[in-house]
Amino acid sequence: MTIPLKYNLRNLRVRWRLTLATMLGVALVVAVFIMVMALARGLKATYVSTGDPRNLLVLRKGSTADTSSQITRDAARRIKYLDGIARDEHGEPLASAEIVVLATLDRLDGAGTANVLVRGVGAPAFALRPSVRLVEGRLIQPGLRECVVSRKIAERFANGRVGQSFRTGKTVWHVVGMFDAAKTAYDSEIWVDADEARKAFNRDFYGSILLRPVNDAAAAALTQRMESDRLLQIRVLPETEYFRDQTKMAGPIQFLGTFLATIMSIGAAFSAMNTMYAAVGARTREIGTLRVLGFRRRAIYLSFLVESVILALAGGALGCLLSLPLNGVATGTFSWTTFAEIAFEFRITGELLAKGMGFALVMGVLGGLLPARVAARKPVLDALRAV
Amino acid sequence: MTLHGFILRNALRNKRRMLLTVLSVALSLFLLVTLQTALRELTQPATSEEAALRIVVRHKVSLGNVLPEKYQSRIERLPGVAYCMKLTWFGGIYQDERNFFPQFAVDAEKLFPVFAEAEIDPRQLDAFIKEKTACVVGRKTMQRFGWKVGDKIILRGTVWPVDVELTIRGVYDGGIDETNLFFHHEYFDELMGRKGLVGTYWLKVTDPSVIPGLVERIDTAFRNTNAETKTETERAFQLGFISMFGNIKLLIRSISTVIVFTLILVTASTMSMTIRERAREIAILKAVGFDGRQLLGVIMAESFGLAMAGGLLGCVGAWLVYSHIDVYSLSRGFFIKFDVTPHILVTGLLVAALLGVVSCLLPARTSIRASVVDGLKELD
Repeated sequence: MTIPLKYNLRNLRVRWRLTLATMLGVALVVAVFIMVMALARGLKATYVSTGDPRNLLVLRKGSTADTSSQITRDAARRIKYLDGIARDEHGEPLASAEIVVLATLDRLDGAGTANVLVRGVGAPAFALRPSVRLVEGRLIQPGLRECVVSRKIAERFANGRVGQSFRTGKTVWHVVGMFDAAKTAYDSEIWVDADEARKAFNRDFYGSILLRPVNDAAAAALTQRMESDRLLQIRVLPETEYFRDQTKMAGPIQFLGTFLATIMSIGAAFSAMNTMYAAVGARTREIGTLRVLGFRRRAIYLSFLVESVILALAGGALGCLLSLPLNGVATGTFSWTTFAEIAFEFRITGELLAKGMGFALVMGVLGGLLPARVAARKPVLDALRAV
Repeated sequence: MTLHGFILRNALRNKRRMLLTVLSVALSLFLLVTLQTALRELTQPATSEEAALRIVVRHKVSLGNVLPEKYQSRIERLPGVAYCMKLTWFGGIYQDERNFFPQFAVDAEKLFPVFAEAEIDPRQLDAFIKEKTACVVGRKTMQRFGWKVGDKIILRGTVWPVDVELTIRGVYDGGIDETNLFFHHEYFDELMGRKGLVGTYWLKVTDPSVIPGLVERIDTAFRNTNAETKTETERAFQLGFISMFGNIKLLIRSISTVIVFTLILVTASTMSMTIRERAREIAILKAVGFDGRQLLGVIMAESFGLAMAGGLLGCVGAWLVYSHIDVYSLSRGFFIKFDVTPHILVTGLLVAALLGVVSCLLPARTSIRASVVDGLKELD
């Protein structure tokens, strides 16, 4: 025979001040855990969503990022017209030789400068990346010092609006359009014509080539063909894989989240334990009465454990609620791979909420085990005699 | 029985509860100290008197652009410049991508005069300067990979399309950062097949007072050339990187605030449990003539003691832990020093003290205000 849940719920309500304080303690632990993990998730999601499974990325052998890769103009020309690359409606190959450079721009809020990625692109760049949509103005024209900026850059940096212009070194770039990259990594970039970028930034080479093979078989053949060419000295990898590699940046943040949550939950479990011991102490006589009524030790043990779990789970649910408004909030951090800022959003998933509740459950069980044992072991007569 | 004895007995009355409270305060303060240390490490570049004498010249467009070699002799001739050294980020990989540590190509003979706070055995320094493929490595990185002087290592270039093969000829201690590796710029130029790929110039000036004029003069000298420069102090240069961490800083700050808040909550609830149990006693004390202030003092002393015990345990514990474990290796080079400074320790203890005072205020007020008769009626 088990003790009805109502007994626990009513008890929690009677001692509402203590219940609330303990719940809040658990809630804050869960909220911190979810927030930090949502940051890591958001960062990862940004990179993962960036790659297109149909595209291949060509880099110099040994380089790990397109900012540090070099591909000669000769090689770029040869690669562009290889067999097996898809063509657009005008019959031009869907291959964009690109160069990514860093530019230091002024922040709009006057808080100094930050590094921004400027990507020199070929005409097929937009067709290769369907997630990038023009939302204002027009596309850049080859041969002109024009640029299109992502919405996020336009919002955060000075002179980034359509119609304005900004300088990098001696070059003045006119902003002719603004794009939205559907929360991919391109949302932190400015796009210009690749050859203009090479001239303006004094580069004799391209950085990478993004291309689309006609099908999987062609992709395999192209990879084999390019990588085995000793003169090219390049590395070919699926675009998705390249961006998956970048997600390791989220590692330290994830570590921080787990570390914080673990230590904080031990602390919160201690406080839950305090609450439960107090509950057991205050109800000594009730426990005796329950035993006389015929409830077994096991039932009492279970009842107190359940009470502790209910308390923690309610706290966990509150923590989830507290963290939810953060979902979708924009933030940014510095990437050591590109030396530039990357913008992304906090992302709270169902799985993350479930994990947060998992932490709450553990806190409840840990906090309830010992007090429940004490309650169950109380001798009946002593318990009844207690005032 | 003295008042002190009374307070102590009260605190120890429920040993289990006291222990749990002290431990949960200790854990939270441990976290707080950890976060503050991490924040300090991420936001405050190590500074020294020497650093105030250094300025950095880089390409105006960004760090990704290189400066011509001929700038060096032009800068060197300017008054107030003691040394002008090439320093180029190599960014190579040692065996595996995870083994990240900073590597730079520099003018070997100028390295130690410019970074004068770093110490090296003069014989090792001599060996490093004489041999073109030699390098010097900071103590921490030596320990991290278990290297010895005389070892040969290969760094696979990522930023530059070359691999460097180096022989470790010296180990340096102290200085800004004990994780760096420095090798000859001459060797780097040779591998690249041309000179004039210089990431930055690091200058040491004769006196800090010349810096403002010098910064202006250097930037003016190269205005309207193909490679305009941006000159700033070492500190400003490093703060530039840090500002890009922006939101991470905010994140750590908010988490710290939440921890402090949670702490107050937990301790306050413990105190209110304690005080409510003693409603009857408090009423008796009032009946025999203790006034509200004295009672508050008794209660506050107990809560203050609990919080400080937890605070000491957490703060000193954190200090002990972080001065005995190798945070540098454990974090794979992410954190370098992880020093728990006296400033952070004191802040932690202040938080604990504040906690002790604040957490008992509300529960104490309620029970002190209750009438003696009500208090005496309480059973337990």
